[in-house]
Amino acid sequence: MIWQFDILLLTLVVVCGFVSLWIKDLMGAVIVFGAYSFLMCLVWTGMGAVDVAFTEAAVGAGVSTIFFIATVFHTSRTIRYNKWDLSTKFFSSIICILMGFFLMVAIGDFPAWGDALSPVNNNVAKYYLENSMEETKVPNVVTSVLADYRAFDTMFETGVVFVASLVIFTLLLQSDGRKKLMKSAFQKVSFLNVSESLIIRKACGLMVPFMQLFALYVVVHGHYSPGGGFQGGVILGASLILLSMAYDIKKVFARFHMKFMIKSLAVGVLIFAGIGLICLILGGNFLDYSALSKLFPSMGSIKSRYNAMLWVEVGVALTVMSGMFAIYTSLSSNGKFEEGL
Amino acid sequence: MADQFLVLIVLFPLFVGLLIPIIAYFNKSVVWPLAILSLIGSFWAVFNTATQLLKLDPSSSISYYLGNWMAPFGIEYVVDRFNIMVLFAIICVSLLTTIFAKQVIEKELGDNAANFYSLFLLFITGLLGITITGDAFNLYVLLEIASLTSYGLIALGRGRALVATFNYLIMGSMGACFYLLGVGYLFIKTGTLNMDQLYDVLPLLFDSKAVLVGFVFIILGMWVKMAFFPLHSWLPNAYSLAPTAAACLMAPLMTKVSVYVMIRFMLNVFSTEYVYSVLTINNIIVIMSSIAIIAGSIYALSQKNLKKMLTFIIVAEIGYMVGGVWTGHVDGIRGAIYHITADAFMTLCLFMAVGCIVYRVGNDKLESLKGIFKKMPITMICFLVGGFSVIGIPPTCGFFSKWYLISGAFNSGAWYFIIALIISSLINAVLFFRIIEIGFFGAMSNEKPDYKSLQSIKFNEVPINMWLPLVIVSMILIILGIYTNEIMTNFILNIVPMM
Amino acid sequence: MFEYLITNYNYMVVVFLMMMGLWAMIAKKNLVKKCIGLVIFQTGIILFYISMGAKNNSTIPIIDPKYGEAAINYANPLTQILMLTAIVVGVATLGVGLMLVQRIYKEYGSINEDRILEKFK
Repeated sequence: MIWQFDILLLTLVVVCGFVSLWIKDLMGAVIVFGAYSFLMCLVWTGMGAVDVAFTEAAVGAGVSTIFFIATVFHTSRTIRYNKWDLSTKFFSSIICILMGFFLMVAIGDFPAWGDALSPVNNNVAKYYLENSMEETKVPNVVTSVLADYRAFDTMFETGVVFVASLVIFTLLLQSDGRKKLMKSAFQKVSFLNVSESLIIRKACGLMVPFMQLFALYVVVHGHYSPGGGFQGGVILGASLILLSMAYDIKKVFARFHMKFMIKSLAVGVLIFAGIGLICLILGGNFLDYSALSKLFPSMGSIKSRYNAMLWVEVGVALTVMSGMFAIYTSLSSNGKFEEGL
Repeated sequence: MADQFLVLIVLFPLFVGLLIPIIAYFNKSVVWPLAILSLIGSFWAVFNTATQLLKLDPSSSISYYLGNWMAPFGIEYVVDRFNIMVLFAIICVSLLTTIFAKQVIEKELGDNAANFYSLFLLFITGLLGITITGDAFNLYVLLEIASLTSYGLIALGRGRALVATFNYLIMGSMGACFYLLGVGYLFIKTGTLNMDQLYDVLPLLFDSKAVLVGFVFIILGMWVKMAFFPLHSWLPNAYSLAPTAAACLMAPLMTKVSVYVMIRFMLNVFSTEYVYSVLTINNIIVIMSSIAIIAGSIYALSQKNLKKMLTFIIVAEIGYMVGGVWTGHVDGIRGAIYHITADAFMTLCLFMAVGCIVYRVGNDKLESLKGIFKKMPITMICFLVGGFSVIGIPPTCGFFSKWYLISGAFNSGAWYFIIALIISSLINAVLFFRIIEIGFFGAMSNEKPDYKSLQSIKFNEVPINMWLPLVIVSMILIILGIYTNEIMTNFILNIVPMM
Repeated sequence: MFEYLITNYNYMVVVFLMMMGLWAMIAKKNLVKKCIGLVIFQTGIILFYISMGAKNNSTIPIIDPKYGEAAINYANPLTQILMLTAIVVGVATLGVGLMLVQRIYKEYGSINEDRILEKFK
């Protein structure tokens, strides 16, 4: 934590945020907004929040920028119609200034930034840092809290991804498109009429396997290093997105069809909740992984926590991967699932 | 098994909601029975929890530790006599709605029906979770589940539903962000997210500005979510354009659960001492809710469309509850808590009846209701029971909640709140008697009745699985009214500390 | 004064970002800009939580014998987990919002709030 860097980066963040709201060209605004997310993830790395920064780099700077670009691509790029509505702007400025003032006043009451003795850093968080190693044998405390102490939050968070993908898929797909899509399962797609250049296709073909390998590493190595189900899942999804950008969505569907995507979305959350349910059936509380040691007596309660967390992360990764890809394909093809960006 | 009921309440709809997209691929016809089964399972769990709870001391609660981690470190589920009532209301409303909704969903949604059921159950999961959880951040995650599913459910509606959903999304996310920000301001001063622990720690920090800001933003976030008057703009369009089944589920529940969260934070996180003694903003908020009640009622009066009219009645009802709580008198708070349950059933009754009318008549304009009493007598009688409850005619439950609210306002000297309540009751009476007039005599007030066309109308009631839930709801309204005293002494009396 | 600025700069930026996002959500007429405002608001809140969990002279929250066992040597993991959740929730909301923008454009041919309202009349 170096305050000079922090101040510099945060100033840049504010500038980027301001510019992205100010630019009239929407594509430009979205690109600047990608830079905003990237700078923000640098700020978070600086404060020791590597897992969050990792997620933000993959989700904020990566995938959500693509979502924005897809939307701008399918709608209009410029702000043509601009009625100068002074009263709304004035009124909302007043509200924001008042609220900002109210929030600013309370800042004086906070513990100083970086104070290791503040209540936040001492009450519950201290317990995790001191006991996680003994109770779960996972050095990365973020993973152990995410997948064990507060696993119930994480389960519903995975549920949020499921819900969002289901909503987007259901609403963007037209009823005639639905029948066509379900019929088109596994048909041979000709790769000759793709528009992108040979270089891009070859380069992506080379990159994708390595990306997926790295993503799997991130998923399974989350116990020891920054990363875990979310980050790995997003990178897996990004590899599929890259593939469908270099070729088109149909080619990727020939490998990983929409029907399976919706199912694997549900299966991911079901793996997570199912592990919890098994614990419940074995006599523990919901998501009390130590109950699993009854099923595998050789493991013992701590070891079974350790292993169950791995499977939970796999479930999360599965849902997040299919979720990101489902959202991308829906948004980028405007619900037609043919061309994409 | 006996100690697992708390989590089972949430798990039944969660699992079935996740399984439905897979099952629907093989067999679409089992989806509806499965959804009903899961809700019956959840009802069974709520019922068992309630029997366990009633054996205990009135002020005690049952806790459940997820993952078997003790309270501040893991997430805790808590049931006491306050939220068991809300849980009952949620599960009854959703069960009845699901039974009711089969034909409506098939008619309105067609291909999307399976995904709709999935979202429907996950929405119920979210609401149950919000009600039962004892962790401030877990509440946020579940709030987002409930919000995202409700965006999906509303956007499946007709006409301008998309634009209404977008507005709702912007406003709803704003509300959730305010809530998260407020929790952050508490968290930075206390370092804990568990509500019980917050309750223990906060009294030491009552003079802190950060805690004040946290409180204000949590309440503000909930106001956005519950559509309290100046922030209500998203509600009328969203709920009137949503598919019937979604409107029947959301209109009674989403706003009431937000009110529940507000009261939960006021009583069980910040304590009555902070809310009513340290802060001195009671009067302003009671005045605001009086304005909300009158504005909602007047807007309702100006609508020509039945569903839109009901949505503005919801806006007025929110004013009742917020005002009742902020009067700061025990009776007002009790009335508001009782009104959460009562209003959930009232709104359900009205929306279901309108759903039946739309199913048979095809639209919900007031002028197309001519002769509706002859055509659909069962539906209209139930609609009237709901209407009487909204007006506050005994023995329906609406009368008793209003009685308590007025008593609370009287004891705390908030005469403007009493005036607002009376005006709103009068306007509601006008609204519902106007519908009786149109439905029974077949004429708007300025026309002459046309008896010939009335005679040609034939009896054409909706299918049994639609009218039976409706009859049950209207019976519940009367039963709740008759047993008000028992509910008060057994449940609500112990929630509100004496001041 | 300078000391106060350093110790509270993060929180000031948080308030500034949030109000910027809120302003865009209310005042901007373009639906994509509203979505950008929404994300700025959310990242502001995330920055707030991460800032309160930062510690001077600490490392990332992965227990390593090299840095010892004491909690004071590691950044706060709890705020990070909460914000991981918030990021994922944020991107899910954003996806739904952008889907609605696309559907609205398909139906009304515009993503400007005023022009869409004009089409209703």
